[in-house]
Amino acid sequence: MRREVRNRVVWLLAVALAAFAAAPAAAQERGITPSEIVLGTSAPLSGPAAAWGATARGIAAYLEYINEQGGIHGRTLRFIILDDAYQPPRAVQNVRQLVEREGVFALVGMIGSANAAATADYIFRNEVVWMTPAVEQEQWIGNPNIEYLFVTYPNYYHEARILTRYAVETLGKRRIAVLYQNDQYGDSGRRGVLDELAALGLTPAAMVSYELTDADLTVHVLRLGQAQADAVILYATPAHGAMAARALAQLNPRPQILSSFTLADPVMAVLAGEAWNGVIVPAYFPYPGTDEKVDQVLQIILERNPDLASMAFNALAGVSFVEPLLEGLRRAGPDVTKESFRDAMETIQDWDGELLRGISFGPGRRQGLNRIFLSQMMDGVPHRLTDWIEYPVEY
Amino acid sequence: MFFWQLVVSGLSIGSLYALVGLGVVLLYRTSRVLNFAHGDLSMVSAMTAYTLITGAGVTFAGAAALTLLAAFAVGALFYFLVLRPVKDATLLGQIVTTAGFALVLGGLAVIVWGADTKAMPFPLSRFVWYDVAGLRIDQLTLGSFVVACAAMFLLYLLVQRTKFGLAMRAVSQNDAAAKVLGIPVRRVLAVTWGASAALGAVGGLLLAPVTFVSPAMMFEPFLKGFAAAVLGGLDSLPGVVIGGLALGVLENLFAGYVSTAFKSTVAFVAILAVLLVRPEGLLGRKVVRRV
Repeated sequence: MRREVRNRVVWLLAVALAAFAAAPAAAQERGITPSEIVLGTSAPLSGPAAAWGATARGIAAYLEYINEQGGIHGRTLRFIILDDAYQPPRAVQNVRQLVEREGVFALVGMIGSANAAATADYIFRNEVVWMTPAVEQEQWIGNPNIEYLFVTYPNYYHEARILTRYAVETLGKRRIAVLYQNDQYGDSGRRGVLDELAALGLTPAAMVSYELTDADLTVHVLRLGQAQADAVILYATPAHGAMAARALAQLNPRPQILSSFTLADPVMAVLAGEAWNGVIVPAYFPYPGTDEKVDQVLQIILERNPDLASMAFNALAGVSFVEPLLEGLRRAGPDVTKESFRDAMETIQDWDGELLRGISFGPGRRQGLNRIFLSQMMDGVPHRLTDWIEYPVEY
Repeated sequence: MFFWQLVVSGLSIGSLYALVGLGVVLLYRTSRVLNFAHGDLSMVSAMTAYTLITGAGVTFAGAAALTLLAAFAVGALFYFLVLRPVKDATLLGQIVTTAGFALVLGGLAVIVWGADTKAMPFPLSRFVWYDVAGLRIDQLTLGSFVVACAAMFLLYLLVQRTKFGLAMRAVSQNDAAAKVLGIPVRRVLAVTWGASAALGAVGGLLLAPVTFVSPAMMFEPFLKGFAAAVLGGLDSLPGVVIGGLALGVLENLFAGYVSTAFKSTVAFVAILAVLLVRPEGLLGRKVVRRV
């Protein structure tokens, strides 16, 4: 009896081993099969940054359209979205699942500088193509592992410097304060403000941080009032930005708010009401209603997901993340591998997509975008203030 | 001036923590069950009110009344449908059941209302303010404080001045004895659960303009309300009021003068300090076990 059992076990083991060995050789490239290309993202579909999750849904709607047009070189694009609720541990889990279980060719976007910091090593080690993680970019500068990373997203640090310079030189403000999220995202902004003020011979009136779990920012804003700030640079999530704006509206005199472009979406006017009037915010592609190509893309995604209408700008931002990837795939041709994709991306010079304008990559250049423009929000409508303002290309 | 501004806003947010904590303490006193679903019940109430106002065009007053009634009903139903069947479980088991209910409510909220942050139309405005003795107090801060105090006063009247409140106190002291004396314990408990949920709904409605409406809106307030209850004494209703107000003011003073990064930390550190000296909380009853 015992010998029978042992023989059976050995036989089962042998079959199992054979099955593994004979497993279909992975597609030439992870995430690329003759019929489809697999893409994925980890995004905040819930939690305090849920409004930014519209980026992922915008990508999904746009890829639906691309697939309807026949895909790229005959392959359809499959896009997997996993919710990380803006939390690094969940982002780590999601990325592992996307790479190991779903086998994605590329990750598109990711929201949360803390999330990117937690997952970058793993992503680079596995040579996963990463298209525009929407995060602070200090971590890419001087980083030798960014061969398959391509970014067309503004730099928070330089944006903060530009906002500070605008507040001081154009608006004549002298008591600049910064209200920032206590993580890598907010800290980038804080450093930018600090460095620019130092270059202008000034010091900040106040630097006040908040925690993601804070449900009330009244006392933070009271501190800004106490410091008599006449301009407040804001690095926050949509919910916290709205809370801050409403509290700031009560200060007398009311400071000028300049916010990171992450709060460029007019949904802020819905959340913060009249407190959002006058807020100055940058953008890195034209607003809907100001450009034909942008309006066309908006129509395309709204036809496929009408719920995105309340967060149109965020949804379009998502499309701006995936646009360069699609161009790279087109240029790489039907026999695409991650190396040929990388080479194709490096040929992109001064390229205009549907949304993005003036994008350049190259051997050793992974920062595709180096300019923003400022607008002022009034009743949810942006009014352009400046032409394109450039900042350095650093990686 | 800065000091008093901090105190005023601390009292206002503290009164909301107290309101949340009261719901927890009310239940704990009566049934010894810690209701971990309290925060999520408040959130669902706020979501319901939001839908009534923006989706069905109901006035705020109407929506608030309907929401309170609905919350009362949900609380009482939860008692009858979920807790009564498990009444023979250990206390820990019953508490875990409430935690499960919390998860269910949280998940339902995301499915039904979505995870986005929403702005609740509210009759009190942050942009209307009164200048009192050199301090700027906005309508919302003042109004929240007044309504929270009114709710607490009504609860006091219910518990201390009505026959039903007497029955509630009897059940909380010794439910077996109360049953023997003919007090309808089941009814008392159901009403207590309903009242606690209704209190939570008031808290949720008052917090909605501050924290905005989203599935996670009550996470921090519930934690702080619970902490206020622990600070004040889990079986003392006045205790949680004092605990909540103290917590709000302490937090604000610390964040205003020292550091905003440790605003919540200092609140919990203070609670630890109090519990080390007085484990039963500020106004709690010392538990003496005769051996």
